[in-house]
Amino acid sequence: MSITAIKGRAFGDRVLLALVILLSIVMIAPVLWVIGLSLKENAELMANPNSVFHAPYTLRNYVNTVGTSSVFLWVGNSIIVSGGLTLGTLILSSLAGYGFARLNFPGRDVLFVIVLFGLAVPEQAVLVARHQIFSILKFHNTYPGLILPGLSASFGVFLMTQYFKAIPKELDEAAMLDNASRFRIFWKVLLPLTVPAQATLGIFTFLGAWNDYLWPLISATNKEMYTLTVGMASTQTNFAQSEGIGFLMAQAVFAGAPILIVYLFFQKYIVTAVSGAAVR
Amino acid sequence: MTADIEIRNVSKQFGAMSVLEDLSLSIKAREFVVFLGPSGCGKSTLLRMIAGLETVDSGEIAINDQRIDHLPPGKRGIAMVFQSYALYPHMTVRDNMAFGLQNIGISRQIIDARINEASRILEMPHLLDRKPGQLSGGQRQRVAIGRAIVKEPKAFLFDEPLSNLDAALRTRTRIELAQLHQRLQSTMIFVTHDQVEAMTLADRIVVMNNRKIEQIGSPMEIYDRPATKFVAGFVGAPAMNFVDATLDRSGGNTKVKFAGGISVQTEIASNLLADSNYTFGIRSEDVRVVPAGHGDADGVVDVLERLGERTLIYARLGDGLQIVGSDVGNSSVTVGHKVGLAFDGKKSHLFSEAGRAWHAGEA
Amino acid sequence: MADQLAMPHTATPAASVRTPSADIYAPQWRNVIFVAPFLFFFTTLLLFPLLWGIWLSFHKADTFSSGNFVGLGNYVRLYHDKVFLQSIWNTFYFVLLTVPTLALIGLFLALCLNRRTRTAAVLRTLFFSSSVLSVTIVTLIWRIVFIPNVGLLSTIYGWFGATAPAFISNPSLAMIGIAIATLWWCIGLPMMLFLSALQQIPRDIYEAAALDNANRWQTLRSITLPSIKRTFVLVVIIQIVLQFQLFGQAWLMTRGGPNNLTKPIVLYIYDTAFRRWDLGMGAAASEILFILILVAAMAQYLVARNKGDRA
Repeated sequence: MSITAIKGRAFGDRVLLALVILLSIVMIAPVLWVIGLSLKENAELMANPNSVFHAPYTLRNYVNTVGTSSVFLWVGNSIIVSGGLTLGTLILSSLAGYGFARLNFPGRDVLFVIVLFGLAVPEQAVLVARHQIFSILKFHNTYPGLILPGLSASFGVFLMTQYFKAIPKELDEAAMLDNASRFRIFWKVLLPLTVPAQATLGIFTFLGAWNDYLWPLISATNKEMYTLTVGMASTQTNFAQSEGIGFLMAQAVFAGAPILIVYLFFQKYIVTAVSGAAVR
Repeated sequence: MTADIEIRNVSKQFGAMSVLEDLSLSIKAREFVVFLGPSGCGKSTLLRMIAGLETVDSGEIAINDQRIDHLPPGKRGIAMVFQSYALYPHMTVRDNMAFGLQNIGISRQIIDARINEASRILEMPHLLDRKPGQLSGGQRQRVAIGRAIVKEPKAFLFDEPLSNLDAALRTRTRIELAQLHQRLQSTMIFVTHDQVEAMTLADRIVVMNNRKIEQIGSPMEIYDRPATKFVAGFVGAPAMNFVDATLDRSGGNTKVKFAGGISVQTEIASNLLADSNYTFGIRSEDVRVVPAGHGDADGVVDVLERLGERTLIYARLGDGLQIVGSDVGNSSVTVGHKVGLAFDGKKSHLFSEAGRAWHAGEA
Repeated sequence: MADQLAMPHTATPAASVRTPSADIYAPQWRNVIFVAPFLFFFTTLLLFPLLWGIWLSFHKADTFSSGNFVGLGNYVRLYHDKVFLQSIWNTFYFVLLTVPTLALIGLFLALCLNRRTRTAAVLRTLFFSSSVLSVTIVTLIWRIVFIPNVGLLSTIYGWFGATAPAFISNPSLAMIGIAIATLWWCIGLPMMLFLSALQQIPRDIYEAAALDNANRWQTLRSITLPSIKRTFVLVVIIQIVLQFQLFGQAWLMTRGGPNNLTKPIVLYIYDTAFRRWDLGMGAAASEILFILILVAAMAQYLVARNKGDRA
């Protein structure tokens, strides 16, 4: 290869690199800005926005967040709702996935097609009717009201069915020759092998529930029952008049940081889960 | 524990496709029986039917005169070693072996005793606390066999258990299996498509092809007196030479004539045969290579295969027919050489168009 | 077959009904136990509401009672409702703004970051990280970027003595502002989907191309891009389905304003059903959204199913 070709290549690489760096700045700058604002006194910010770039910084906004806002209550609600939904989804999906993948019963294939059809039903299509049903059952502003709708999602069943199908059938057959019952085969032989799928599905479900906005907005109208997403939204409605931008930003950082840390730890699973859910 | 197994008029279909047709077979206690056949012949299906993993569409299977084909797999008192071993990946070797015993409520003490005994026999006490993923192919194989042994089954079923091992390990394991059978004195059924495994392991071989049993017999019976042309061609390497022939039944023994004018005197009684088309068959070791002009036919050497203890000679006869003969290990014959071929009439076979066989020396 | 023994028949005569042999794969009702718990929730909370929603859309209903049957009345009202028609247009406009951009930037990032270096790994983590945040945090961040005076954008413009465009309040820019926040939020998924597609291209094809002296542009055009064509279509459809459901960003950043110019269909449903409590009409609007999404989902299913044909 000639020297000019190498130079041309290096130049092209630099242009691409510059573009990627520019995009990374776009990704990071708003977050840094928000963190910066969260560390400033409100009065100072109002006088001069550029004051973000120099001292004095303060943790007062974070102290206020921890002390005065309902953020802990909302985090608690979010943990209960997301945790409950995740646990429920794992149980239901594992059982049903095993049933569809390994057991035979009348009408199984038709049922599975119907469950697959559930993948194509968006939440919005059932929102109004669900709300009415839950009104009649007085489920609104309760934990079951926030958890139960998510249990009807087909994705977990679909994922677990695929996963169970990928486990060699000889294992079931060996276990049958070993006198194990159907449930024992499920519980002792196959379920331990689905841990990676459980992790993927669990994280996906938890993340989805944690970030869900529409259903909690409609169902949890009582401030005590707000999830973190709804609670955060409720404080930003009257923006400038509220406790101040710095306070709002501290709250945002406070709410966003845990999920970002979880993401850094479970990155591999989260990426698999989210991409897997998209492609199905 | 041991048991005899009786298979009576068993048939099996997968959808519209028939895989086994009206098949009967009785296996005596303590016998080592090998189901041998090409892939798709139904041998694994038959084994899985005995295990209870496939339904029996018609007919019956009985163990010790008790019908078992309506029992679930676990209640039949048999153990199976799978081709893939099917070890439980998340359990240690010890737990793999204990699982089946725990399921029927055997006490921990007895379980431990049996596991220790089995692992001693298989020389693997040091592997008990490992998981299958930490074992080599041969070790997994042992565990699979150990998992079968601890159940003290009435019969052992092996579904091509050696096919995932490399050549050297396969030979060694074959010998160990033979010793294990000696030691346990248990009924064993072994499925394979490898004729060497069948010949070396079996008390009796069941040769299967195309939904049916072709022949049942001891390894040497199968080899020397194949019941059908299929068996003759399937067992033995290289495959038996087959030549279309016409018969001269004027003498007490039949003389066969090939298309090229070559004739061979056999020791097959002519009164057993009818006037129709036959195929002459002879194994390569019964075709001796002699100097040109001194045999029943002359041919030009196409290919030489030196096996060490003997040399296979692929010779082309005048009419284009290729015959495989054999010569001593250090044969001086070279490719392009003209050689003579001497056919051993005492070891020759004839096959009718329907595939039925006649052998030299049959009365 | 010398060994074939003539066995004496057992107690049951051959002609009588034979005890069927054990079939471990036979259909059995008790196996339903494993799928029943899920099916209960699936039926009561998805299938039933879906049907009830259709039924509701033909009625005039409020929270607790469903009133009179109005036939296609709700749909006719929607057809004449300028706000609803505007919301459909808004949704399509938003999809048009976001989907092609997401697909192209996602592809660009995937092509640049598909290497085994540490930097590439860090950048992949960075570009996906925004995807795990909730819509509330994303909109909070972007409102603070766009807000006049103290916002990041106006600060940067301030350095050059210029005034930042009013992405929230300017009618012709509001939707673009929402789209920018959405791009920032959603770029991770298309990038990851393209990355996994790129990693499935066998290495030896590239090696063969290198031996054929193909330069980088030729390799990209004749090998890489054709191999991920199907993924590209899939990414576009997935994003159409996702972006059709726009709600949080619009509701939290602009409340659908100014002049309903950023009000998407879901926000219209929310407004109608849960703020004006016209459930029948809300249900009707949601059926229309359902059909739009179903068409896209079917397209996705067909593309995904064709996997074998193009690989």
